[in-house]
Amino acid sequence: MDGPDRAQERLQARAPEMELIREAQAGSRAAFDALVRQYEQQVLRLALHLTGSEHDAEDIYQEAFLKAFRYIGNFRFECSFYTWIYRIVTNLCLDQLRRKKTRREDQAVVVDQSGDEIDVLSSVSDNRSFSNPGKELDRKVLGERIQVALSKLTPRERMVFELKHYQGLRLRTIGEMLNTTEETAKNTLFRATKKLRTQLAGLR
Amino acid sequence: MNCELAHERIVLAAYGELPDEQIHELGRHLAACTDCSQEREQLQALKTLATAFPMAELDPNFVARSRMRLEEALDAIPPKRWYERLGQRMVNNFSSMQAAPVAALLLLIVGGGAGTLGGYEYAAARTAHNAAQVLSTQASAEQPVQSAPAEIANISSIEREPNSEIVHVTFNQLVPQHVQGSLDDPAIRQLLMLASENATSPGVRDNSVGLLAAECRAAHGCQGEGIRDALMIALRYDKSFTVRQKALEGLQPYVAEDMRVRDAVLEALLNDSDARIRTSAIAILEPVEADTSVRQVLSTVANSDHNPQIRTVSRQVLSRAPEIQ
Repeated sequence: MDGPDRAQERLQARAPEMELIREAQAGSRAAFDALVRQYEQQVLRLALHLTGSEHDAEDIYQEAFLKAFRYIGNFRFECSFYTWIYRIVTNLCLDQLRRKKTRREDQAVVVDQSGDEIDVLSSVSDNRSFSNPGKELDRKVLGERIQVALSKLTPRERMVFELKHYQGLRLRTIGEMLNTTEETAKNTLFRATKKLRTQLAGLR
Repeated sequence: MNCELAHERIVLAAYGELPDEQIHELGRHLAACTDCSQEREQLQALKTLATAFPMAELDPNFVARSRMRLEEALDAIPPKRWYERLGQRMVNNFSSMQAAPVAALLLLIVGGGAGTLGGYEYAAARTAHNAAQVLSTQASAEQPVQSAPAEIANISSIEREPNSEIVHVTFNQLVPQHVQGSLDDPAIRQLLMLASENATSPGVRDNSVGLLAAECRAAHGCQGEGIRDALMIALRYDKSFTVRQKALEGLQPYVAEDMRVRDAVLEALLNDSDARIRTSAIAILEPVEADTSVRQVLSTVANSDHNPQIRTVSRQVLSRAPEIQ
């Protein structure tokens, strides 16, 4: 539980950022650029990991910060700027995941770094024994299997798992970002882990 | 506790979301229930497997390309007009206001003020336009006006002579100016500082910051004239790499004596997106590398910077500088 001292410390740590936001709201492009520099790495990493495509990640990054620029006047300091920008990014990522899901509903397809799509399941034999992943699968193929399993989740389950497992965010924060409650985020995480365990049962 | 609830709590516990008081209860259930113990092992195995698909290190070219594209798109957006910003502020304020009568009164005042101001600006613009037309056609006026209408900033007064066609119009003009002087001249320095913050052209900012930085490096009176502040602002916020690099070099002589300068350089080391700036910042911090705050930042950079070379250099600096207790 946070005490008043912790809250005060957090507020002090956020003071320069709040100043930047106010300047950006007053129309300062330099202040907005400074905010972009502060968050761009995290945004790109999240988008790249979720979409698996540099092209899609770049589009999401671009659209997210353009939206932030247009609507920064609406930011009212009711949540952290981090939560606000992540809310924009996660919404865009969810849209992208939904579009992808309908495009390749029954395909185990991932996009490699060069942008080419590859069918992972066709490249990995299901008859192999995966009792010892360290010896029998190289890490790359294992990673691709994980990616395929993740792509079978619903976009929302994928997003909650991503934010919890890979980004290490609190469920409460995830709920705020996805405009839902902590309880719903918890249930979604539970469903996601259950599905992933079923998907990856052969690998254990 | 039933097994269904235990399964949910196993997930929460694995991700550090289970309250302390429930951890003990879950532990007791797991000790007695084989199925749930297996469930926990399976979840741990999933967490281990998931590390095979890690968050990738970003390619610096990819980041630079994305940023360049974003900057182009941002440049294409026209800046918001003052009334758009005012409207936005009103909307924000309105939503946070609880008392309706106060809100209505404030809205009335703001609306009235905005209307008056808008009307005044409209009238002033019309008058300026008409006056410029009149001036350009009346060559017989007392003082012929050479300027084009676009150079007239505003009209401050208009008086007509009684029973006459003669009108006296007082107006202000925007006139481009040129000054020259020594770099030690306070007026020149003031202009350079203005240019370092406000110039829309990166070339002008580059020149002004370069000149100010050179003055600081040459110890030509960089004390208490706001030049250091201007360099620190350029280092923190300028989007051009060369401008930030020059600002950093200009701040070098003051890193040991001025805590604000040291903080600005440490911020650059932590946050600047360009690895070259971060590398230069490490070199510049050399005189104060044994300082506790510097060591803390170096230690953070040594662990978390995306660039392996910067991580290595930070570790080397940390290993050679004895920690001051």
